[in-house]
Amino acid sequence: MVDVDKFIPTENITLFRSCLVSAEYPGVEASTKFVFDKLGVEYVIDRNQSCCTGLGHYYDIFDELSTTALAARNFSYAIRNNHKQYVPMCATCYAILKTSAKILNEKDDVREEINKAFRENGLEEFQYNKGDIDPRDDITHVVDVLYYLKDKIPEFKKRDISNLTIATHHGCHYCKVHYNDTLCGYRNPEIIDKICEVMEAPALQWYDHKPRHCGSGFRQRYANRELSLDATVDKFESLHKEKVDVLLVMCPNCQLQFDRYEQVLEDMTGDKHYFAVMNIAQLVALYMGADPYKVLGIQTHTVNVEPLLDKLGIEYDSTEDTLHVRNE
Amino acid sequence: MDYGCVILKKLGRREMTNESEDDLAHKILKDIKAPSDLGLLRCVQCGLCTSMCPASRHSEYDAREIIKRVLDNDESIIEDEIIWNCFYCYTCHSVCPVGNSVCEVNQILRQMAIDKDVGKKQIESFMSFADSFLEEGLGIIPKEYHGQLKIDYGKHWENLQENLQEVREELGLDSMFLLPEAKESVDKTLDAIGFKKRVDSIKEVRNRK
Ligand code: SF4
Ligand code: SF4
Repeated sequence: MVDVDKFIPTENITLFRSCLVSAEYPGVEASTKFVFDKLGVEYVIDRNQSCCTGLGHYYDIFDELSTTALAARNFSYAIRNNHKQYVPMCATCYAILKTSAKILNEKDDVREEINKAFRENGLEEFQYNKGDIDPRDDITHVVDVLYYLKDKIPEFKKRDISNLTIATHHGCHYCKVHYNDTLCGYRNPEIIDKICEVMEAPALQWYDHKPRHCGSGFRQRYANRELSLDATVDKFESLHKEKVDVLLVMCPNCQLQFDRYEQVLEDMTGDKHYFAVMNIAQLVALYMGADPYKVLGIQTHTVNVEPLLDKLGIEYDSTEDTLHVRNE
Repeated sequence: MDYGCVILKKLGRREMTNESEDDLAHKILKDIKAPSDLGLLRCVQCGLCTSMCPASRHSEYDAREIIKRVLDNDESIIEDEIIWNCFYCYTCHSVCPVGNSVCEVNQILRQMAIDKDVGKKQIESFMSFADSFLEEGLGIIPKEYHGQLKIDYGKHWENLQENLQEVREELGLDSMFLLPEAKESVDKTLDAIGFKKRVDSIKEVRNRK
């Protein structure tokens, strides 16, 4: 196993569900489960868990106290369940949970205010004790776990993916918020690249704007559409220049920005080149033989993934996708 | 003496004397969102944040300038629309040589704006997120923007919304919704912590329009 300086769990995990994964790219959840099962990772999913609030938090709708109180509530379920290792699939969840745990541990007045609100409203079971959750060791992203177990991945190889031109895009809220907890660098992030290497499908070492954000910018995507897309164009054009086949991400926010807007971005730039957008867990699942529709959930992607499957010589039955509008 | 030293001297004075404990910078440092080691008063105006910042690259926004105005105790910044251009990408936060975070300072400034009507008006179009959270304990893409999204994302996205349950079943996934008792305790938590009141006060400003 890889030597890392933070604790990476392989058991007692609560796979922390993400609102955007659930509703936009549920195949990311199915792929993560598929890969975790192969690698022997022990985890549960808990339907008592609420969302982290992340998107609402960064739309400035949620105040810090409310977000932190909901985190305390979620932590209490994970602890009681003996699965206190939170492993989110989304970079926003990852950073929000860490920030909340830090506040609960370090700000005595805030913790007490939240505990008091719980006590006075018959919610004693959610009270948080200082140190219940260690923000560094008890909250890790799915990519941390995949990286830690990467040398086992080739044992489950079913498909050759070595002829792909891959670019990686690392979520800002994984790399840059709690940067001391980021594995494999945050200024030139490489954790996804390292996972690709073991599948003999190396990613481009560098492309222009590699460490830059996706442009979604929380409220900007909605309230300030032009600004958001202008920022996305920087990276989009660079990916076109490199003629990549697939952009790998680790966060559903970034996936949405590049996948849902690909046509809009093409129209904006007048630049045409096909590339698919996938979460790293989806590519690992594909490498391990997972079904494109029943596990990867490619029918939920705006940009068809089928051309990528063609390039890899993977057979599929496109009638399984009933969501895309086809002009046949 | 070079320029940097002059600034350092000036800032050192600001940190040493307690002449202005209730100025904007100190209010920010006392905010619940400010980490105890936030390097706001140590900012040397190097501009590294601006050089990497998407909002500064693509709009009138200037990350360094935000901090300058805060350190100049320019409270008009709270009402300035410019603070709403930040992407919250934390790039500035990860490169700042003195441990400051324009990103977090901005988040605090926006909360200060939300204490007034001017900020509430900026976020009222996201209130369906709060409604969904109160009802389901789940976040959603704000409904207020679905019109534009349907144009941008095309018919496929509408099909996905309509058939989501089925798609999840095909993928062998359990329901995405919380258990009924869990929904109830999320609702109670948000009531107890004052979030419902906050939502009401934002909606009140929206309805006044
Ligand atoms: S990078 Fe840090 S020190 Fe430099 S101007 Fe920005 S906030 Fe100030
Ligand atoms: S968080 Fe805001 S200020 Fe900082 S780099 Fe991103 S857009 Fe600029």
